[in-house]
Parts: sequence; structure tokens; C-alpha cells
Amino acid sequence: MIEVLRAGRCDLVMDLGRPGWGAFGVPAGGAADPSALVAANRMVGNDDAAAGLEILLAGPSLRFPLGGVVALAGARFRATRSKGKAPAWNETLLLAAGEILNLEQAETGCRCWLAMRGGLAVPRVLGSRSTLLPAGFGGYQGRALRPGDTLACATPVGEMHLLRAHPPAPPRDAPLRVVAGPQASQFDDVGLTAFFCGRYRVGAASDRRGLRLTGPAVTHVRAELPSQGVLPGTVQVPPDGQPIILGWDGPVTGGYPAIATVIAADWPRLAQLRPGDAVRFATVEVEAARTWTAAPWVIEALA
Amino acid sequence: MQNAEMKSPETKRQTVQPAPAWRWLGERGLRVATGEATLACYTMLSAQSFAELEDVIPSDDSLLLVLRRGATVSSRLRAALAAPLSGTPAASGKLHEIVVEYGGSVGPDLSRLAGQAGMDVASYIHTHAAVEYTVAFLGFQPGFPYLRGLPPALHAPRRASPRLRVAAGSVAIGGVYAGIYPAGGPGGWQIIGRTIAVLFDPQRPAPALLMPGDRVRFVPK
Repeated sequence: MIEVLRAGRCDLVMDLGRPGWGAFGVPAGGAADPSALVAANRMVGNDDAAAGLEILLAGPSLRFPLGGVVALAGARFRATRSKGKAPAWNETLLLAAGEILNLEQAETGCRCWLAMRGGLAVPRVLGSRSTLLPAGFGGYQGRALRPGDTLACATPVGEMHLLRAHPPAPPRDAPLRVVAGPQASQFDDVGLTAFFCGRYRVGAASDRRGLRLTGPAVTHVRAELPSQGVLPGTVQVPPDGQPIILGWDGPVTGGYPAIATVIAADWPRLAQLRPGDAVRFATVEVEAARTWTAAPWVIEALA
Repeated sequence: MQNAEMKSPETKRQTVQPAPAWRWLGERGLRVATGEATLACYTMLSAQSFAELEDVIPSDDSLLLVLRRGATVSSRLRAALAAPLSGTPAASGKLHEIVVEYGGSVGPDLSRLAGQAGMDVASYIHTHAAVEYTVAFLGFQPGFPYLRGLPPALHAPRRASPRLRVAAGSVAIGGVYAGIYPAGGPGGWQIIGRTIAVLFDPQRPAPALLMPGDRVRFVPK
């Protein structure tokens, strides 16, 4: 059980999402970096698909009245424990009854994930425990956590070991890899050069629906098209020429031309972009992108 | 294989279209230009259940096929996409009557749109409610229907600046489409009325009230 003493900026219950409801207008959603949530789950002996907390930029203060086994993965936050030293990232943590875990500002990146042994026991909605904030369902009552909320955990099954996870090294300042198209012909040469050679910044109005970029205008031949299906990572360009990278909870269809789509292997990097960060793009071929998966986490026993 | 396309010669017959062109959207999305046959093709792909597909998302005139992570296009799916598409099936979806309170505080754009269309409000409402609409696809929000069949006199562009808050149940016009907002939130369509019908409830066995292919009539309250 977890009691929320102080809420973070936006603490959301997430699992691996609810793919398959696109025809109903429902995005797949789920943890912004599935590989980090899976690593956190493995460190507490959970199924990969168990629900945990996705924590954004400024974290919550959480009390564990019965104690528990937890793990943190993803961006590092300034953090304290009410007993003992500051909580380690990427290893199994044993919390005593009544302990408080206090997460403050993210030191690097944007999001981290907290898994608790057993998994967060919110009801499944359309097959998933993930919060779909724009529609107000899933997760904990369809919303971000608030002070006074109490989260139950399911009864753990299976064995548990003290583990340590080694996250993949993040590539420094590497461009985001995209597959170009399918509507690159809707842009003129100036626009295409701006997008594929330019440098953009992540705007403040970014959230799980989309990352809004500011930078050189991507100029169109034609700015409005019939609505077409889109994916997380699809880069749409509205009439003002400022690209939007659609996020995990973005719409399933969009009427602006899609210039490119960020490959799934680079979603973990999208998850860690924060307002002000610089972004560049580099094209890759579909067949090459298919063979790359997100860099693996290595998990080993704690010595 | 990037931007792979399979094109067949143009045909003018209405009932049979050439095999659709398709293009990659990222490495997991195949956008298939299904045109008039979008719903027929959606029904065909859904019925055949291809193991490599995580989702099939219909839109205006195309389908987005979403591949599972690491999956590739099977020869069976390739064959299904290479076959000529049969034409639109007769509108056979369920008919829904949606009761609407038009105008006033719940339809703030109605009188202006009527003026722009050169009608009085009563005849605008009559025109909106006189025809049968077809659900082309759902998008924007869970359960948001894009309704085809809006009389051309009522076509109206989206608002120049979107409203920050549109009420759930708002009956709206966006370009050539009529629509209904299932949930509250920001929105750029013109709002002409409101219904108390619940468009989307994830707890219902069929969460969306209206599905692609269904038919809709608006009934003035």
C-alpha cells in the first residue's frame, strides 16, 4: 500500500498500455519508456506488465505504511528516505513499515518509474491499468495522484531477489532517428531542409499528447489534408510550421501532414526530453529500423 | 522497402478499385490508401485477424496497420493488400437517433454559422437534422465520430483559435464533417448544440456508442 503525502507534478499509474483500440479513437498509451518500467518490475519480482508509477520532473512524497519492496528506474531525481541513506536508483529497495520516500526535482531527464512488489492494483479499463489523462479513464480514477490518495498493491506471486539493473548508456546529443514520410511531398525544399538539418527546442506546452518543438519553420506546399492514422513518434507539422512529435496519449488520427516518424527504439529518449532540450533528426531506412530495438537493460544479482 | 508502393492502373469502375498504394509510417505503421473502400477493407482485415497486426485504425480514406514490435508483414497480409478492393458495402450499420438541443448557450456558434450560410436559425437546424449521416471513423478523442453527409451549405472551417474548453456532448461542425465531442476538453470545431447521449464509456461492453459504418440522425429537442 502507498499513501500519497504530497503529489508530484504529474504522477500517473502506467503499465504497458492498451494497444488494439485505435478504431475506437483510443491511443495505446502506457509507460513512455516501456523498457524502464519493465526493468523496475523485474527488480521487484513482478511480471513485466505490472502497473507502476510514472513520475514527471518533480516527484511525490510517498508513505509505505506496511513497508514494501520497490525499485526506481529512469531519470534520477533528488530523493530521500525517512530511514537510511538516499534511495539508490536501479536496484531493489526494501522499505520498512512506515517509511517515507520523498522524490523532489529530476536531476537529469524528465521521467522515472517506480515499481512496487505485487504491482499497483487499480482496476483494468479496456484491458490496461494505464491512465489515459486526456480522456479521464484508467489508472487511479483517470487522473494524476493527489495528496491523500491511497494505492493498493496486489498480492505478490513468484520469487523475489535483490537485483541491480544497468540501463543502456544514453547516446549523447545524438539525433533522433526517424523514418521519413509518408507525406514529405507536402513540404517544399526549404521546409524539408529546415526539418532534416535544423535544430529544434522542446517547448513548454509539451505533455504525453505531444512534444511541441520550436525552431526553423517547416514550410508546406499544402498544410491541411484528410485525417490519417498516426502513431506515437509521428512528427506532424501544423500551418505555423512548428513540428509536433505526437506522444503516447496523442490522437490516433491527425489532419496535418506527417513529415517523419521517430522509430520505436528511440522512444526511451523521447520520454526523457524536457522543455528547453535540443532536438535534431536523422533519417534511417525502414528495414534497418525494424532490426533495432531499444537498447537492453542488463539485470544482475546485488552482491 | 521504404515508401514501398504497389500501384495498379487507374480504373473508373466504381465497384472495384485497384490494389491500394501503401507507405510506411515509421517502421511499425503501414498507411494503406483504401479510399472509398476503407470500411470494407477494415472489416476484411479485422475478420481475418493477422497475427502480426497490433491494431488497424480507419481514417478518412486510408487504414493505418500497426505492426507488433519486431513483426514483419506476412505473405498472407501482403496478398490481402495486393488484391483489388471491393467497393463500399451498402450502408448497413446501426441507425442511431441523437437528440440535440440546438443553439443558445449550448450551441454558441449556431447563429453566426446560420448567418454565414444565408439561413435563419430554424432552417439551419432543419437542414442539419434532415439528412442521415454515416460514421466514417473515430478519432481525436475516444469515441469522437467523424460523420459524413453534412449538407454542403453547412460546411464551415474550424475556428481560427480553438476553445480551451468544449463541453462533453457538444454537437459540432469541422470542415465537411459533423461530429460530437464525447468528453470535455479543448476543441476547434464550431459548436451548434449539445446532446445528453454518452458517446464513450470505457465500462460498457461496447465502449463507443457510434462505430464506423453506423448511421446517425439528429433529432431537434
